[in-house]
Formats: sequence, structure tokens, C-alpha cells
Amino acid sequence: MSCENCKITSPDEARQSIRRRTDALIERVGRRRECIIPLLQAIQGEFNYLPADALERVYETTAIDRAQAISVATFYGQFRMMPYGRHTIRVCCGTACHVKGANIVYDAFRRELSMADDTITTSDGRYSVEKIACLGCCALAPVVQIDNRIFGHVQPGKVREVLDAFEEAEQQADEGRLTRRRQAQEPQGEIRLGMENCCQASGTAEIRQAVERACRELGINVTLKPVSCVGACGQVPLIDVATPDGHITRYPNLQPDQVKEILLHHFRPASPLRRLFSIAMNSVDNLHTDQTWDNILYLPEELRTGRLRPFLDGQPLRISTEGYGQMNPLDIDEYIHRGGFEALHRVISTNPQAVIDEVLRSGIRGRGGGGFPTGRKWQLVADADDDEKYVICNGDEGDPGAFMDRILLESYPLRVIEGLLIAAHAVGARRAILYIRAEYPQAVIRMRRALELCRQRGLVEIGSKVRSEKVEVSIFEGAGAFVCGEETALIASIEGRRGFPSLRPPYPAEKGLFGHPTLINNVETLSQIPYIIQHGAESYASVGTPRSTGTKVFALAGKVRRGGLIEVPMGTTLRQIVNQIGGGMEGDVPLKAVQTGGPSGGCIPAELCDTPVDFDALAGMGAIMGSGGLVVLSADDCMVDVARYFVRFVSGESCGKCTFCRVGVKRMLDILDRLATGQGTMDDIDHLEELARDISRASLCGLGRSAPNPVLSTLRHFRHEYEQHAQGRCPTGSCRQMVHLAVTDDCIGCTKCAQVCPADAIPFTPYQRPPIDTARCTLCGLCLEACDLNAIRYENNR
Amino acid sequence: MKITVNHQPLDVSPHRPLIESLRAAGYDVPSMCYAADRRHQPSCMVCMVKDVHTGQMIPSCSTLPREGMEIETDTEEVLGMRRQALELLLSDHRADCEAPCTIVCPRGIDVARVLLHYDRGELSAAAAVLGDTSCDGCKAPCERACRRRTVDEAVSIRSLLDEVRRDGLEVKGERLEVRAKAGAANNSNPSPLTPNLSPHPSPLTPNPKSDLFCSRLGRFTDAEKERMKQLFTQPSRCLHCACEGSGKCILRSLATNAGIRTPKYGVQSSLPVKERIEVTERLVYEPAKCIRCGLCVYNTDDGFTFERRGFDMRVVIPEESKSHVSDEVARLCPTGALFSVKS
Repeated sequence: MSCENCKITSPDEARQSIRRRTDALIERVGRRRECIIPLLQAIQGEFNYLPADALERVYETTAIDRAQAISVATFYGQFRMMPYGRHTIRVCCGTACHVKGANIVYDAFRRELSMADDTITTSDGRYSVEKIACLGCCALAPVVQIDNRIFGHVQPGKVREVLDAFEEAEQQADEGRLTRRRQAQEPQGEIRLGMENCCQASGTAEIRQAVERACRELGINVTLKPVSCVGACGQVPLIDVATPDGHITRYPNLQPDQVKEILLHHFRPASPLRRLFSIAMNSVDNLHTDQTWDNILYLPEELRTGRLRPFLDGQPLRISTEGYGQMNPLDIDEYIHRGGFEALHRVISTNPQAVIDEVLRSGIRGRGGGGFPTGRKWQLVADADDDEKYVICNGDEGDPGAFMDRILLESYPLRVIEGLLIAAHAVGARRAILYIRAEYPQAVIRMRRALELCRQRGLVEIGSKVRSEKVEVSIFEGAGAFVCGEETALIASIEGRRGFPSLRPPYPAEKGLFGHPTLINNVETLSQIPYIIQHGAESYASVGTPRSTGTKVFALAGKVRRGGLIEVPMGTTLRQIVNQIGGGMEGDVPLKAVQTGGPSGGCIPAELCDTPVDFDALAGMGAIMGSGGLVVLSADDCMVDVARYFVRFVSGESCGKCTFCRVGVKRMLDILDRLATGQGTMDDIDHLEELARDISRASLCGLGRSAPNPVLSTLRHFRHEYEQHAQGRCPTGSCRQMVHLAVTDDCIGCTKCAQVCPADAIPFTPYQRPPIDTARCTLCGLCLEACDLNAIRYENNR
Repeated sequence: MKITVNHQPLDVSPHRPLIESLRAAGYDVPSMCYAADRRHQPSCMVCMVKDVHTGQMIPSCSTLPREGMEIETDTEEVLGMRRQALELLLSDHRADCEAPCTIVCPRGIDVARVLLHYDRGELSAAAAVLGDTSCDGCKAPCERACRRRTVDEAVSIRSLLDEVRRDGLEVKGERLEVRAKAGAANNSNPSPLTPNLSPHPSPLTPNPKSDLFCSRLGRFTDAEKERMKQLFTQPSRCLHCACEGSGKCILRSLATNAGIRTPKYGVQSSLPVKERIEVTERLVYEPAKCIRCGLCVYNTDDGFTFERRGFDMRVVIPEESKSHVSDEVARLCPTGALFSVKS
């Protein structure tokens, strides 16, 4: 599209071109008021932003007027009125990334690209840099996304490397498109690798290239099978090599240069000549390098996958993530072969009430956060007297620090669709909508493809034998607003309005989308439904605790050795999750707390981590189950900083409708800002508590009512930390305005710190302890990393 | 339908919002974002009542009664929460109810109004406000309090007032009338602060209403000071701090009733201070005074609209949509953000 622009010289022609292209988009998307979000998304997809001329054309030719367009376009985070650079760098500021220093990484990118304050785009127009709420790759924190490439474990000192890697990958991609070709041999085996967002962040794409290259060189023909997430996001890149005899060997933490060796070990090159040649070449290689001596192949099974074992063994029962690491997410035959769609077929020949009864008896509760019994919700919608009913799958997972829904949508799209269709048949809805958040492009692509596959098999338009009604399924892409996870706000956004929640009652079950009864279920809830139908309510209810049945998928991240996506029975304790599955604390720093439920949840202190986790137990501790993000916090984390992080998040995501959330949350943030910058007082703590309680009682929607939870739970369990801040001390050094960096007597004057300092705050003084110029120091922490003697540390200003 | 209000049974219509039934029954329930029979969404939360069964505070303007509902409207808890809602709204309300010059005038002159007439070229009206008051012997605290002083230099209030006295009274035939008016208005109310300084101590308007809540704009930032210099270039240089819509301001009267003197959380807002937008010839919009209730948004068609979200959310009126706004929408605005100017 930029090329087309270049050719045009006169502004008038440019305007005409924009109008023409906008007309085509309008023709495709529609002219009704509720089409506004898809339409704006299409315009932004075409032009990279929302040009004024395109919007004028929208006012002229559709039912959308200026007031609606301004209201909607400025509400949702996805839309922008100014053009961005050619590439967009998105620095994830999710909880896990935050505690691992995302802000410093953001600053580092800006510094590396020499960006002036208050600008988003570099002067050459090549890069735009922005912060993003959560990319959902929490186990690889800090994470950065450049266009569609994701980079994990980005350290502030390595941003140049990331940029170089991106540039290189871009170049290779261009070349790769020209040289790709297909082989027509019988495959000798299968290599499975995860291609989820987080796997890609760890470099799966490079592994894939290495496999392809090695296969070409060796003449080996294997099937490269992208599979569903293993969940061991901290151990990636990970491949499984499956030989025709059914033997599977797993290689976690793989490097691209190990691939060739592995392939040679498992498969025979095509011709004896090539085999000989490669052996010869490898011997020469080995003479020159010592790489092979610690070769992955020579590691015993125990050592190679040893760290992975307890991670997977700790999760005996898989419901939502059944088939993990084996199933191709988009292979419908494989899904059917594993029992997929059996439940759906059973449902369409059963009385809908019997299906609802089954769900009721299973005791399953909504996985989206509230924990409302799913069966009762279904019953309400089924009983509603209306010909027109809707079912919506809520995939607007916005909690920073949570990525369960993303992985379920990317890895198990067929299971989610099956659950959605079952729900539609059970409640008698003819229209079903998959609402997926815009930040998950991969999930949208997979869902679209999965839906197409189901359509080809006649599974979507299948008529229920009881009601003889067809279900029409569509996908709606969210546009970047956390509040739209709230069901009434979600409905407002589908209707083409700002995501303002509305007062309940009436509940969506009575009066929802376009005024009709609407069932809204979370992705995970729906992905558990096929199991309940297939194996029976009793079998499901036997898992978990009496009041919280079944399994729960958690996103485990933070200061834990092995993060990832896990599925455990309800009632597992947090300590089991942290120690057994997570492998204990990173760097053996003691556990301080586990944050559950994201911005609506709370921090559970280490001493309460032996409580079995279910909906009621968590609520009792001042937290909530939420959607299932678990961020592990260590003694190095400051609880005031964590509370401030969440309050700042909600303050930016509040819809702005009611006073308590719009102004109240901002005032809480003001107080926390004062405390975290050393200007707070003891009175501030009391004011904060009072305000937090009022907000939780008087806000209109769930977002506002739960927004104070991070503050209230940390006040309840960690009040002493607030008091320390009021006295001017941040013991962990997380609140950067309260501390400075200082060099201790352990310094030998090696000057490493002076060499890495990007702000020239450390003078070059060989064999002497350098003084740090605190006025220049940006507290980026690079010197801390560089110092081998741990001779630099944070000290409180007061 | 039967519900219980403050432990008393009440018969209500199931189709009327609670607030209407409560008010009809004589309960005092304030509200700002609600207007009977007009489109609205609950936002301000000052109409809160407590649902005893759930313990939640609910907006009575948007809640329909349910059978057996039990609510409280006048407990300390409910009143405290309403006060909290007002505190929060006021903390985001960077505007002056009264002009500082008027507040400090020891002779009770409505300086702000004089300057307003002066800048509109209505000298005789300005003189009428001044009446027989005199500035002789006064140390002009008005000029010390003047907000313009924090920008660059104070407005020369005294010399301007003298000019009004001189030129305004020369307008033919008005002199006598003004005198008569001034004399009739008040002879029995000498200002307690200035007992014997003037031969004509009685002001035309009563002294600033000290019993009323008075919102303060606070300090300008450096950027704002620059903007003020560019915005206010008329002869008097007056910033016209006094709120022209204060007469109908529900926020002020509720704050007064709640006994609020100074806002608990300070005042800090993201809205552009002192911005003044002429929507139509007779309708003015000052965004800084807006509480974002949305009544003007919901009740105009393709006119006022919301922009952004959260604390930064504001009500805007695009230039192209101004013609879609009717003047009567000013009556819906619960504050002085939208008001009619008489032409």
C-alpha cells in the first residue's frame, strides 16, 4: 500500500485514493452502526491508522456518525489517529514482565533508538515503540514483540541484539519466500514443535528453519508438525522427535546448532553418499570446535528432560489441555480420532434439558473470574422466552499475567468450538459469537481456520435433531479494552458502542446482545464442556473439591524456576504448584506471595500458600480465582510497587463511566504514587484503605468493584511495607524514586560498570571505586548485571 | 409492588426507577446525572441507596424496584458514601465557583460581574452593579487575590472600576435609575468587615455567600500560564474566574449540603482549565467543569460525544457537530459546564 502512495503526487489524488479504498472496505464490512469496530479495524489494517479522509467517507456513506466514531475510536486502545513507523516494537508490561523490569527494557529501546521524549516513532520512521498490557508470554518475561515476531528474556543490555535479530530475520524471510520448495518423498518420521506465541518468542522459528535446512542438507524427509502447547513455556524451544516405531524423544531448551546432530541420530540420510559426506563433514567440524562434547545427545534422558518431568507429572489429569504437545491444533481428523465431537453428536440427539442437567450436576463454575455456576447460567438462558438467543465465548482475556485463554484458543481451537456449539444447542441459540482479543492475532487466525474446518465437515451448520435449528458461528475481534472482559461491556462493544458496562440486573441472560437473552461463557469453561458430556457429570465432579469441581488451567509465571501453562485439579495448594510443578523459586530467593486473579485479584502471602485453591478459599483470603494468572513474587518484590502496578493498570483501563472507578481509582493511584516516591504519610495509608473500601462497594461494574483488591489484600497482609514506605524506605529497591545505586567497598575498580553505563553516570576510574552520579543515573540496572562482585546495590535515599 | 424504605413499607410502581418513587414519597434523594424522562446512564453515584440484602450501594436513578427489596436512604453510611462521591467529583473539578476578587472585596462589590460587563462593553450595566460603592481608602485586596497575578500581573481592578464609575454613569439617563436601584436594594445590610470606610457601604449584591461551598481552581502550571496569556487578551485582561453557570450548579449545592469546605483529595484534573467553547451563539461549554455524566451526550443526536476513557475521558463537541445541538440541553447540565448566555 505504501508503494501505491508513493506514485501519487497530488494531495487531491491521495484523498481520492483513500476514499476509493475506504469504499471497498465499507462494501465488505457493512454500513450498520454495529459494524463500526470491524470497519475501523479494516481501515486501520489497510492504512496502518485511521486517516481523517477515510472517516469522513464513513460518515458520508454509512449509518455511523461522527459522534459514534469519535466515541468508539478513542475508547479502544487498538485504534490510532496518527500513522506509526514501519515496524512497531511492543514492550509487554504484564505483571510478570513488570516484576522482571519491563519499564527498564522500554527505556532501553527508546535510548537505543535515540528517541526524543514524547515521541512514539523514530525520526527515520522505521520504528514505533509502545507499551502493551500483556502479550501473554509471561513465562519468558520480559517479552517484546516487533511486528509479528516475539522475543523472550529481553534484557535491557541486549536490546541492540534483539533489533539486529529482527532485522536479520526480516531479511531472511524475504529471501526465504523466494527459495522455498516442497519435497515429494515419503516422510521418515515426525518432528513436533510448538508454534504458540511463547514458543516463537523463544526462537521456535529458528529451530524450524534449522530443521528445514538440515533436512535439505542431509536429504532427510520428516514431517514438521506444529503442535499444541506442552505448557512448559520456561523450557522452550522444545521438540519431540517421533520415529515410525512410535518412539518419542523429547528435547527441551534446544539450540539451532543442535538440530543437525539430533536429526542424524534419529534418521538416515537419503543416500549412503550423503551419509558419508555428512559424517566426514561433522568430524571436521568436531576437530575444530568442542561443541559436541557437551552434545545434547550424550546427555542421559534424566538430565535432558529431568527438569521437565516433575512439571508434567504434577499435572495428571488434562481436560482443557488434553492432547498437549501431541495434537496438531488444526488437524480435525486427529481431534475426531481422539474422541472430538462425540459430545456434540450426543448433544444434538439429546433433549436440551438433559444436557443442562448434566452440566448442572457436574458442578462446574465459570472460569472467567466470578465463579458463577455454569449450569444455572445455561438454565436461565434456556428458560428465557425469546426466539432469538445468543451464545458468546468470552475470549477477551486481558489480565496482565494471564495467558490461559490464548493458549486454549491457539492450541485447542476445535475443543472450544465444540463447547460453544454444545452450549448453543443446549440453550437454543441460533447465533454464536467467538469474541477474541485483538492482541492475540495468532488465536484469531487459528480460530478462523478451525471454524472453516468445522464448516467443511458440516459440524457448525448441523441441525439439532430435537430443535432442527442451525447455529451460525462468527468471530468478533476485540479492539483493546480490558473492561470488555466484563460481560455487559463486551455486549456493548459488539453492538458498536464504547465498552461501557451497564447496570445489572437485568443480566445478559434476560436481556443481552441486541436486547435478547445471551449466554456468555469463558473460553476455558467451554473447553471443559465436551469432557463433561463425554465422560459424565459424575466423573467430572469427582475431580476437585466439593464446591469447586474439575480442573483449572493456570498461567504460572513470575519468580519461579519453571513457568508455563498448567492444568491441575481444583484444591491443589499454591505451594504444590510453586514447588512441585514450578520447581521452586528462581535463584532460591524465598517466596513472599502469589498474586492471583490479576488486577481484580490479590496477593496471597507465603504463609497462606498451603490452603487448597478453589473459588471460595481464594475469596476468603482476599483474592479471587480470576481467570487463572498466578504470578509468583519473591522476597525481592515490593508489595507497594505491585499494588501500584495494578492500580495504574486499572486506572488506564477504567471505562470512565462511574465516579468511583473513574476518579476514585485515580485518587488511589495518587496516594500510591506518593508512597512509592517517598512523599507519603501514615495518614495516606488510612485514606487509601478507606477509599479502596468505598470503591469496592459503590462502583457500577465488576471491574470497579474488584479494582481495589490488590490494594486491600496487600494492606491486609503486608501493611508493614506500606508503613516503611511512609517512613521513606523501600526495602527491596523496587520503587525507583526512593533509591539510588551505590558502589560498595567490595569494588576492585574493574570498570565494567563504567563501560556498560548508557547514561555516563559512572566515571572510568581503573582500580578505584567509582562514584555514581545519581543525577545522571537512570537506574537501568545494567551495572548491577555487569558487576561480577555484586559491589553495586540499591540504597534508600533516606 | 411492595418494598421497604428505611424500615417503612412503601408501595411502588415496578416500572418507575426507584428515585422517582422515593422522591414522590418524600424522601430526599439527590442526583446529578439523572433527568426524568430523558436518556441517561448512571454515573455520578450521588443518588446511591443501600440494598440491605446485598450490602451494595446502588444508583437509585437506574434501578427498578424488585419485590421485597429493602433499602436505606438516610443512614450515616449512605450519606457518607454520597459525600465520598462528591469529594471525588470535586477533586476533578478545577474551577472557581466565585472569583477571588469578589470573595475578598471588603465592600462586597461583585467585582467579577463588573469586569464581565466591562469586557462585553456594557458599561452602564457594569456601573449598575457598582452602584454607589466606592474604592476610596481601600488597599485593594482584590488585586492581590487576582488570579491573573499568578500568570503575569494582576488586573488593575481599581482603576478599571474607577473608569466604570466615571464613564458608565455618563451614559445618558441611567444615572438616576442606578442610584434608585442601589438605594432600594439594601440599606439595612452593611458589610461587617468594613464598617465605616465608605459613605455608601451597602453593596448591590450581597457579600460572597460564605455559607456556600466554593470550589477553587488552584495554581496554574507554567504551560497553563502561557495559555492564559494567549487566551485572555481583552482590554481588562481579566480571566473571568467566576462561574457563569453557578446559579444552577447542583454540584455546588450538594457539596454545601454535605458540609464540604475543601475537597479532601485536593484538586487535580486532566481537563483543560478555563477552556471556553462557544457551541452556539447562546450556548457555552467549559470542559473543566464537566463531571462526565453524559446527559448532553445521550440527549443530542450526533452532537456532544465522549472521547478517550478512564480518568482522561472527556466530553467533546466536534466543530462539524455544533449545529446539531439545541440550546435547551444546557438545562440538563448539572454543573456550570454548559450554560446559556443571554444575548
